[in-house]
Amino acid sequence: MSDLQPQPQPSSSSSPPSSFTFPPEYHFPPFFTRQRNLTTHHAQLVKWSNLVLSYCRHHRILKLSMSGTSGFAMPSPNLTLPVVSSGGNSSSNNPGPYPPSLILGEVTAGSSVVEVDTSELFHNRKLNRRLALADIRSVIDFLRKDGRAEYVSTGKKEPSEGDLAWIYWRTPEEWAGLVEAWVDATGQRGSVLTVYELIEGDGTLGTEFHGLDQELLLKALNVLVKRGKAQIFGQEDSRGVKFF
Amino acid sequence: MFLKHIDLTTALRPSYLPDEDLLFVQDNVGLYEGKYKLPNHQNGQIYLTSHRICYIDKAEPRKYSVALDLKDIERYEFYGGFLKSSPKITLFPKANKRPSAHPQPTSLSRISSHHGTASLGHQSDRQPVAPALQASPVSTATWCPRYIPPEIAQQIRADTGSPGPYLTSSGIGSSNLENPESVKISFRGGGEKTFYERLKSCMAQRKWLLQSAPPIPKPSRPGDAVNGTSNGTDLEARDKPKIGGIAGLERRGQAMRKNNEIMIGSAFEDLEALMASAKEIVALAEDFARQVKGASGGLSASENALLADSVSQLGLITTKDIVGSSSGTDSLYHSELARTLAEFLTDDQRGVLKKAGGIISLVDLWAMFNRARGGVELVSPADFEKAVNLFEKLNLPLRLRTFKSGVKVVQSKDRTDEATIQAILSWLQDLREFPPEKEVPWDWHRFGRGVTARDVAERFGWSIGVAEEELEMAEERGVVCREEGIEGLKFWINFIDTGEGKGYKDPAEQEHEIIKARLKEAGFI
Repeated sequence: MSDLQPQPQPSSSSSPPSSFTFPPEYHFPPFFTRQRNLTTHHAQLVKWSNLVLSYCRHHRILKLSMSGTSGFAMPSPNLTLPVVSSGGNSSSNNPGPYPPSLILGEVTAGSSVVEVDTSELFHNRKLNRRLALADIRSVIDFLRKDGRAEYVSTGKKEPSEGDLAWIYWRTPEEWAGLVEAWVDATGQRGSVLTVYELIEGDGTLGTEFHGLDQELLLKALNVLVKRGKAQIFGQEDSRGVKFF
Repeated sequence: MFLKHIDLTTALRPSYLPDEDLLFVQDNVGLYEGKYKLPNHQNGQIYLTSHRICYIDKAEPRKYSVALDLKDIERYEFYGGFLKSSPKITLFPKANKRPSAHPQPTSLSRISSHHGTASLGHQSDRQPVAPALQASPVSTATWCPRYIPPEIAQQIRADTGSPGPYLTSSGIGSSNLENPESVKISFRGGGEKTFYERLKSCMAQRKWLLQSAPPIPKPSRPGDAVNGTSNGTDLEARDKPKIGGIAGLERRGQAMRKNNEIMIGSAFEDLEALMASAKEIVALAEDFARQVKGASGGLSASENALLADSVSQLGLITTKDIVGSSSGTDSLYHSELARTLAEFLTDDQRGVLKKAGGIISLVDLWAMFNRARGGVELVSPADFEKAVNLFEKLNLPLRLRTFKSGVKVVQSKDRTDEATIQAILSWLQDLREFPPEKEVPWDWHRFGRGVTARDVAERFGWSIGVAEEELEMAEERGVVCREEGIEGLKFWINFIDTGEGKGYKDPAEQEHEIIKARLKEAGFI
C-alpha cells in the first residue's frame, strides 16, 4: 500500500498535495454552459467561485488572468503548474530564485511572483469544454461581490476592463492579520522593516506571506495603517514600514 | 316514447348516429310540454340534426338531456312570439305508435288543456310506447302517445302547481302518465327562424328513411318498376312484372324521373354547402396549394390516411352557418367549435392526441383540424383560439397551456407538469444505468448523458417544438440543466444545483450566508 504514501515532494516538507483535485462538477459538461434558470445559475456561480478560490489557494495564485490562460502565483516550493515563460530554467519543481525573465516588470518589481499556466481551470481538456470569457467575468464579478476578488488596476484602463484580477483566497485584511501576528510573534513592534525585507528577507522565510506580491502586501499594510497599527514611508523602491 | 334520454360524447354533445348530420345549434332554449315548462329542461342547447332534435341541458347535461326523432313528428308549428313570450316551435308527435294490433287494457287519463279545446281519455300503460287514442287532431292541442318518467311527471305537477291540467286516474295502471299533446321549444336567445327553416327542409328530406334504403336504383336496369313508393326495400324485393308496350315505357320513364329527382336532390345539397363557403374555399385552396408545394413530402402517409379517415366522419361539422346567432356574439359558435375539437382530439378511433404523445401544439392542431374538415368551412385562427380558450369553461377534458415562450399547446386535462417532469427525469436516470453508445469523457455512471430536444421528442412521441418547451419547463423548475456545445443544446440532470440554489430568493441574504460558509471553509470562523 505504498501508494497511500504522499507523493515524494521535491524539496519542501510542509506542502499540500501537489496536484489539485477538481470537484466533481468540473467533469460535468453542463457546468461550462451558462445556466438560464436563475436558481441553477446562482448555484453554478457558487460552485465556480468556490473552485476558483480553492484552485488559486492551492497554487497560491494571487492574480488570475481573465482570459483564463495564466495566473501569477507566489513562488512556492511545491509549484506544480508549468511556468508560462520559456526562460532557461523551466523546471517547475525547482524552488528558489527565478530567472529575471519570469519576474514581472513594473507591477511586481522586486518580488519573485511567477506567471503560471492556469488554462486548465476554465478549460477541461478531457471534456473539451471551456467556460466562455463572459462567463468567467461573471464568476469574477460574483467573487467581487463577496470581496473575494478585485480587478487589477493598470492605471490606464478602467479597472473592469483589465484582464487581470486579484483572487483573494486571503483578503488584504487577512494578509494584514498574518503580518501583524508575525510582527507580534517575533517581537518587532516598534521596529522598522523594509517592504523588501518582509517579502524576500530571511526573517519571513516560512511565513505565509513570504514571497507575496508587493502590491498586495502594500494593500495589506495599508489596512494596518488605517487601523493605526503601522506607518509606511519612503519612496517607490525603498519603502519602509513601522509597526506600532 | 317521444322524448328519449340520449347518450353524450366526452364533449357533452349528442353522439350522432351513422349518417346523421348536424344542421343547427341554438343555445338558451327551454322545453315545454303542452303549455307547461318541463322542469330541468329550461336552459340548454338545441341540436337539430338530420335525424333528431336533441336538447342538451346546460346544468346537468348527462341527466336531463333528451332527444326526439324527427320521424316521430307529425307536424310542427311556428309561433313568432308576442311581447314577453319567446318565439316557440311546437312539435306534434305522430300517433303512429298506437298499438293498433294489440289493444290493451287501458287506463283513462283525463287531461284538459288550457285552450279548453279538448279533454279526452286515452289509453296508456307502463310500456314505454303508450297506447293512446288520438281523439281530436283538429284542435290546436293534439293528443299523442307519450311516456313520461314518473319522477318527471311528479316534477311537472309540483312545478306547475296549476290545477287540473295533468290529472291522473290513479286507480288503474298506477304509473300511467299523461301523453303530451306537443313539445314546444322556446327560443329565448333567438335563432327560431333558422331552426324552423332547417327543420322544414329536414322534414322534407326525410333523411332517416335513407338509413335503410338501398343505393339509388340504376336506371339502366330495365323493368325496374316503381310503384309510386319510396320504400326501396320494396323495390328490391318486388317481383318485376314484365310490362310491355306504352305502359311499360311510361313506367320506365317514371322510374328514371324518380331516380333523377333523387340524384339531383342530393347533388344540390352538396352544392348548397359548397356555395356557402365558396369564397373561402377558393382563397384557402390557393393558400394550401402554395403550402403543399412549399413543403411537399412533409406529410407522412399515415398522417394523410388519418386525415382522410377524419374527413369521412362528418361529425366534425361545426360551422358558423349551423349555429344560431345568440344575441350577436359568436360565443355559441366558439363553444360548439371547442366541443368539436374536444371530440376530434379525444376520439379513440382517431387518437389524434394520443398519437401526438398527449400534447399537440396549437398550430399543428389548427392545421390538422382544418385539413380534417376537408377544406370546407375552415376555421380562422382567431375563432380557433377563442374556442380553445373555452376548454376549461366548458369543462372539457382538455386544457390549453401556454409555455413561457408563448407557444400554446393543447393537452389532456390530467397531464400535469409534474408528471412530465417525472417522465423526463426517470428517463435521464435510466441513462445512468445503461452505457452510452460511444465512449464519453465523463463519468456517465455519475452524470448520465445529455439529451437533445430531438431525443426527447423521439422518446415521448412529442413534436420537437413541444419537446423543447417541456425541457425548458423542466429547466425552469431546476430539474434539468443545459449544455450548449458543438452538438447543440443538450439537457442533463441538474447536478449543478445541489442545494446551493435552494431558497435562492433574496440575493443579499443568500450572499451573506455564502460568505459565512466560505469564511468557515477558509477557517476564519
